Amino acid sequence: MSDFVIERVKTGIPGLDELIEGGFPKGDTILLAGRAGTGKSIMANQFLYNGATEYDEPGVLVTLEESPHLIKRNMMRFGMDLDALVKKKKLAIVDLSPSKEATPMKIGEYPSFDLSGLEAIILNHVKKLGAKRVVIDTLAILAYKFRSRDILREEFFKLAANITRADTTLILTSEIQSQHDGLGVFDIEAFLASGVIVLYNEMISETSRSRSIEVLKLRGSKHSSRIHSMRITDEGIRVWPAEISTGV
Amino acid sequence: MADDAEPKKSPKGEDEEEDDPVEVVLFKSDSCAFCPRAEEVLRETLTDFGGGFFVLKVINVSENPEAAEEFGIFALPTTMIGGVSVTGIPEPDMIMKMILGAKVSSKRGASK
Ligand SMILES: Nc1ncnc2c1ncn2[C@@H]1O[C@H](COP(=O)(O)OP(=O)(O)OP(=O)(O)O)[C@@H](O)[C@H]1O
Ligand SMILES: [Mg+2]
Repeated sequence: MSDFVIERVKTGIPGLDELIEGGFPKGDTILLAGRAGTGKSIMANQFLYNGATEYDEPGVLVTLEESPHLIKRNMMRFGMDLDALVKKKKLAIVDLSPSKEATPMKIGEYPSFDLSGLEAIILNHVKKLGAKRVVIDTLAILAYKFRSRDILREEFFKLAANITRADTTLILTSEIQSQHDGLGVFDIEAFLASGVIVLYNEMISETSRSRSIEVLKLRGSKHSSRIHSMRITDEGIRVWPAEISTGV
Repeated sequence: MADDAEPKKSPKGEDEEEDDPVEVVLFKSDSCAFCPRAEEVLRETLTDFGGGFFVLKVINVSENPEAAEEFGIFALPTTMIGGVSVTGIPEPDMIMKMILGAKVSSKRGASK
């Protein structure tokens, strides 16, 4: 009835925007879930790269798992030079990975803490760059780093709300454990996000696997409800909107 | 500001005294509800332990997010002594253990 149009943030990932009415709703929190090796990090980094190079939207990558060195090397294979973007102040890479030498070893934890430090670190970069896109890769590692799950759940709600308040679009990656049905280690990931994208890499025969992608939910959007073929090519991730995957 | 608050990371040089004060660093923020209590506990414990053994440095991450990022510390409060840390309001016993650990390792470093 209404002419109201939700502003969209284009992912620029070939084939993906067609499935989601042109892009993610601006300022939303999107969960990118999948098992190990399904392409979550590549897709999230591609979202930032495209934002910075094609849409003039600077981004912040918060890496809790992989070292920046490895991320840059891996993305370079797709012709995506993240270092160049960092130099141009179109991208900030926040290294909170375990590889960091200065990080002290945590020997104790009491259930009386919050993630206000993470928020301050991220918002500092968002402000400096005028960032419109933020990626936190990956939520899963926090579950290993901290015992107090209840605190993490609550804190992540706050964090996501405070990051997206100024219309910054947030992507959280989350690892689906192979023994579980849930979308991540907290069991609340799907509530936290207004959109959920799931990546698969399933066996289709004894000797081969096939990648696919599903838009599980996207509030305010008439999205595809099918599972579509996806491939990781020399140019990064590519989705085939017309191809319905038979793999899952 | 950032430079003042930066704790030393490297082991002490050979010419330094063995009884150099141990550096205790508290990371806090303006919005963190548990931080004031953590700071209180730290100050009380350090006073009980006897002065002169340590210096307490308080880093407010709201004002100095770079310092927190440098040390990879994002859950607050976090207390850092030597190469180890605890997150949340620390118990005095834990602080003592960390201080003694830091003393031992700095002596080892000095005797090398
Ligand atoms: N150049 C390439 N060409 C084709 N496939 C590639 C290429 N580089 C990586 N891949 C595939 O992408 C996978 C890694 O993708 P990515 O790191 O995004 O996964 P992930 O979902 O983030 O995994 P994890 O949960 O372990 O972090 C590799 O396992 C490999 O199968
Ligand atoms: Mg990954």
